[in-house]
Amino acid sequence: MTSGSVVFVVDDDPAVRTSIKFLISTVGLRVESFESADTFLAEQPVLDEPSCLVLDVRLPGLSGLEFQRELAARNIRIPVVFVTGHGDIPMSVRAMKAGAVEFLTKPFRDEDLLDAIRIALARDRVWREKDKELTELQQRFESLTPREREVISMVVSGMLNKQIAAQLEIAENTVKVHRSRAMEKMCAQSLAELVTMIQKLKSPSEKAS
Amino acid sequence: MTHPDFSRIIHKLPEPLLLVEPDGSIVAANPGASKLFRRQSSDLVGMPLIALIDDDTQKLTRYLSQCTRTSGRVRLRLRIRRSNYQPIICKVFGGLLREEQPPLVWLRLLPFNFVKSHSATYDRGMKAREKRTRQQDEQRWRTAFENSAIGITLAAFSGHFLAANSVFQNMLGYTESELQGLTFLDITYEDDRQTNLELVNELIEGKRQHFEIDKRYRRKDGTLVWARANVSLVPGTDGVAPFWFGIVEDITARKEAEHALQITRAELARVSRLTTLGELGASIAHEVNQPLTVVTNNSNACLRLLANGKLAPEILHQALEEIVTNAVRASAVIARIRAFIRKAPAEKEELDINELIEEVLALSGHELYKNRVQVECQLTKPLPQVVGDRVQLQQVLLNLIVNGVEAMSTVTTELRLLRVQSQFDESGNVLVAVSDSGSGLGLEVDRIFTPFFTTKAHGMGMGLSISRSLVEDHGGRLWATPNAPHGAVFHFKLPIAARGVDHD
Repeated sequence: MTSGSVVFVVDDDPAVRTSIKFLISTVGLRVESFESADTFLAEQPVLDEPSCLVLDVRLPGLSGLEFQRELAARNIRIPVVFVTGHGDIPMSVRAMKAGAVEFLTKPFRDEDLLDAIRIALARDRVWREKDKELTELQQRFESLTPREREVISMVVSGMLNKQIAAQLEIAENTVKVHRSRAMEKMCAQSLAELVTMIQKLKSPSEKAS
Repeated sequence: MTHPDFSRIIHKLPEPLLLVEPDGSIVAANPGASKLFRRQSSDLVGMPLIALIDDDTQKLTRYLSQCTRTSGRVRLRLRIRRSNYQPIICKVFGGLLREEQPPLVWLRLLPFNFVKSHSATYDRGMKAREKRTRQQDEQRWRTAFENSAIGITLAAFSGHFLAANSVFQNMLGYTESELQGLTFLDITYEDDRQTNLELVNELIEGKRQHFEIDKRYRRKDGTLVWARANVSLVPGTDGVAPFWFGIVEDITARKEAEHALQITRAELARVSRLTTLGELGASIAHEVNQPLTVVTNNSNACLRLLANGKLAPEILHQALEEIVTNAVRASAVIARIRAFIRKAPAEKEELDINELIEEVLALSGHELYKNRVQVECQLTKPLPQVVGDRVQLQQVLLNLIVNGVEAMSTVTTELRLLRVQSQFDESGNVLVAVSDSGSGLGLEVDRIFTPFFTTKAHGMGMGLSISRSLVEDHGGRLWATPNAPHGAVFHFKLPIAARGVDHD
């Protein structure tokens, strides 16, 4: 596993917390542990590297499931692996629907936990790459002049150069110049690629998928 | 008192009386006797009594000698002969007059058809009036019998019905004449006959004056009817044989209601047990799985390090210590649960209430957590021990705690605080209080201990009523007071063990 990754363990039972930490540490991952959701939120650990949460459902204060919702509300995106002393089906369904990677019942098999962590970290890594790509796209888009953005949005909506020129009351050649400069700035090789890029920018909510 | 004194006294008594010598010679006869024998008193005196009887002379001789030997009264049935040779049966009571020497025997003779015939004022007019009164009396009784709202029957000593009123006839579906061909056992449901017969025998043996029995009769159409019968044996009088007198009430509706209630109660108890077990199950799973998780995680981690050749002795040592600690922790949980659900009859032992409180709080941990209830324990330690049944007292505590939690389920704005306190007083009681910050009891405070009263949507209203009777079984008391600023406090107190008092 990637040495740059970190796993956050939240469990109120100190013995359980330590044992999970010990188990995860055997595969060379960095582990940080918290006794409650509230302490996690209060300490606000830095989330620079690929990371995931191993979360007990039953916690003092915010429960594991409420903590999951609270993170979403705060726009903190981190994959969650739930562990529980006794889980029922409705509880696991709620957790999985809210995007949990796995829902494990204590005592769990070590492979199950470590596999879940592996999947969670991989998912976070993918999210981070997508984020990075999107950030670059945004930076490129922001380098466009207002006129270039205007032309591009018309191009993407399927208008011909001639139609754009007519609507903006400029020469068709000028449209062509704006268009090629914008393509260049956006690093788009083709019109199809440009369309994809603009769509990604338009729907940032899809970035997490 | 001398013989003449007796003669004077017996002359004033209306009943036929004689004074005789032990050999049977009549010494004195009063007017009643004179009337009975239809002879002058003076004629009677000096006559041997044997000459006046129409019966076995031996019997009389034996009787007289018995009278001289016995201190009390002696009875005899004797047929006497009157002057007109008309025999008449008399009941004879006799006794010894010791004061006389030689001793005398007094005899009181009552003819069986003796109807105030001894009375000085007796006449035919009186007899007619008495007859009328008797007829009116009988008429009244007959009317009462027929119009009674309750079944009334008369049965011969043999058990055959003599009479039955219309209520009884309707209850059984037989007419009176049909009943007269049956005994009470014939129409008694087979399973109830033995009990019925035993009670009847006790009456015959004189062990009781009357009996009451809830029994089933088989109606003419074969269906069963539940009845409560109150039966007495009317002793025989002269000319009337002893008979059974029964008052019979139809209690089928009551019995059916009782049966339905019994089924409902059993069902409620079953549901309640299942619910409690379900709640316990969740708690057990969590309590046991936590230490098991520690054990498996530490073991697996060690195996992994061992496989990589990275298992340092100090890491192994620490992991093994954790494993041992948590294995012990798991077994302690199981022991606690076993003690909790053990199905034993009331077993009184010396208990520490604080220990019980801690056990029950640990077991209700899940419920408390799920409902976000904060628990505050104010236990006085050490407490004198109480004598009681562990499981029953745990049930009381669990019930009060769960009630408290549920009472606070609607509290959203403020802290849900459950406070459990224990202390003891000078008069030798351990006091336990469970207070909540819920909505309180309000006007219902007087009704909460009534069975089937509930304020909960899914409650059965049995918890507090059962808890109260359990506490009372332990010689204690359970009551409720309001909590400040809101909520309720349930208190119970239990007497401390005798040994505890001695130590104080």
